[in-house]
Amino acid sequence: MTQTVAQPTGLDGTAGRRLVILGVAASDCHVVANQLIAYALRGQGFEVVNLGACTPVEEFARAYRTHPEAEAVLIGSLNGHVHEDLRDLPEARRSGRIGCPVVVGGNLSVGSVKDPSSASRLYDLGVDLIVEDPDDLPAVLDRLRETRAEEARLARSPVS
Amino acid sequence: MSPSSAAPGVLPGLRESAAYITGLGKPTVAAVLAGARDRGRVALQPRCGVGGHAEMKALLLALEAAAAPDVLTLTIDSHTRLRRFDRAARTLAARPRDLNGYPLVNHGWRRGRELNEAVGAPLEVRHGSPDPRALFDVAVAGGITSFEGGGISYNLPYSKDVSLMSSLAAWEAVDRSCGALADLGVVVDRELFGTLTAVLVPPSISLAVSVLEAVLATRAGVKCVSIAYPQGGHLIQDVAALEAIPVLARNHLPAEVQVHPVLHEFMGVFPRQRGHAEDLILYGALVARLGGASKLITKTYEEAAGIPGTRANIDGLRLAGRANSPLLGGLLSVDRDRVREERGWILAEVAEIVEPVLARDRDPAAAIVEAFARGTLDIPFSASRFARSAIVPKRDAEGAIRYLSAGALPLSRATLRRHHELLYGRDGSGTPAGSPLADLTRDINYFPHLFGEEPM
Repeated sequence: MTQTVAQPTGLDGTAGRRLVILGVAASDCHVVANQLIAYALRGQGFEVVNLGACTPVEEFARAYRTHPEAEAVLIGSLNGHVHEDLRDLPEARRSGRIGCPVVVGGNLSVGSVKDPSSASRLYDLGVDLIVEDPDDLPAVLDRLRETRAEEARLARSPVS
Repeated sequence: MSPSSAAPGVLPGLRESAAYITGLGKPTVAAVLAGARDRGRVALQPRCGVGGHAEMKALLLALEAAAAPDVLTLTIDSHTRLRRFDRAARTLAARPRDLNGYPLVNHGWRRGRELNEAVGAPLEVRHGSPDPRALFDVAVAGGITSFEGGGISYNLPYSKDVSLMSSLAAWEAVDRSCGALADLGVVVDRELFGTLTAVLVPPSISLAVSVLEAVLATRAGVKCVSIAYPQGGHLIQDVAALEAIPVLARNHLPAEVQVHPVLHEFMGVFPRQRGHAEDLILYGALVARLGGASKLITKTYEEAAGIPGTRANIDGLRLAGRANSPLLGGLLSVDRDRVREERGWILAEVAEIVEPVLARDRDPAAAIVEAFARGTLDIPFSASRFARSAIVPKRDAEGAIRYLSAGALPLSRATLRRHHELLYGRDGSGTPAGSPLADLTRDINYFPHLFGEEPM
């Protein structure tokens, strides 16, 4: 928890403010890690809209509507039910109701022996990134932000 | 949710279910617990639940054949816990292995009976539902004689948006059914989930919540109460908390009610290495014996990785069973003076927390709801919006769990001073360094840290 995040440069008009939406998947009540991650991200200067435990995709989408400047939606899941809980995610991504990157982390399949297809099934649902260690989140968010800035720059440059 | 997909078949009435249980030819959970207590032995119980019916039956048979636990479990999946029966049904049809428990409501009461008849040990349903009425009805029809939870302890750690008033009302309905079953000659054990969010729960919070739920349950007619306490990791504190349970029962519950102390082996972050995990499992079982628990809920060496496989579950039960050995009697001791002192403080704290709620000349459920809204009742790390979670726990230098902040709990100045002194030293010289978050993280990772395992 000692990394420092890139300071906002004002490129995208949101100088001084980096906001993320955080929550735990719909059938999951494990809230301790969620509260620690919120605390840590706030300590690193992020504004965290923490929706807490048991958050359906629809509630993430509503939060995104209120905060369209969000850099990412961060979804934790510890009970192994993440695939069923994110069943409505493809529609929310397609329609743009969640228009920022979606990052998932936690314990992503039932049982002590992990299902290797778990990650690919999440990407199929519209998850952009899977994070193993919550301490990596600031660096991951920095990378996502750089990618978005680069995409915005390319979109502005004339097509040759 | 249509009734047909939630509960195949019409449920039998309570009278028919009571007759079925009486004729089942095996003891109830309450009888098993009373027998264990009379013999001075800790009864053992695993957690176990898988999605498919055939797989669930095979799991129960394997556990009974290899480890013969005193009580067996149906752990229920989290869709069912939240009454998302359609999601449970969909996952059950498509990928039953993706369920983290047995969806009993979807499988239905006849399959519950089939499981019950397959094994000799009585069954308990363990879940996490703020509104368990449908699940309870199917469980009883299936002949299950122990049902875990309560209107506080299965709401605040498990849901975000369910009001305490509604969960307390739903659980009152369950407790009244238990009273009706007792009138029909079947005593259902109601285990109260004092473990709460399972992370750094101060003993007096766990016990205060259980006392309140036990008062409500016994007023509704429940005749057997198991008060579960989560092992915190400090020997004196854990033994003292278990020993406080019979005293609290005498102070607050009717004399004719059976009350059993239950220990949940450590529920927080487990060490990853098998040897370390097994040390902790054996330690928990010894604490249960020293504290006079009637029952122990076991863990496994796969705890750090997720829900355990059958082999690990069997090994966890067998290891915990070693703590019951008559050979150990002379080896086991604990500093009784320190236990007595700690127990005295725990009892005083519980009294300070529950007496303002129970003393009011009004409906205790309404008093509980109001106290949580004001923060005079509270739990750390609540998943629910209906508790403030202003309590901040912290381990003292010995590893016992203390209040760094007691929020708005009505604790006396003497109690608060003691917690402050235990955390900071009498002269304040032991002021902990480091950030509050780093301290909290280290306290949560207490056992992996103690064994020198690298943080995840």
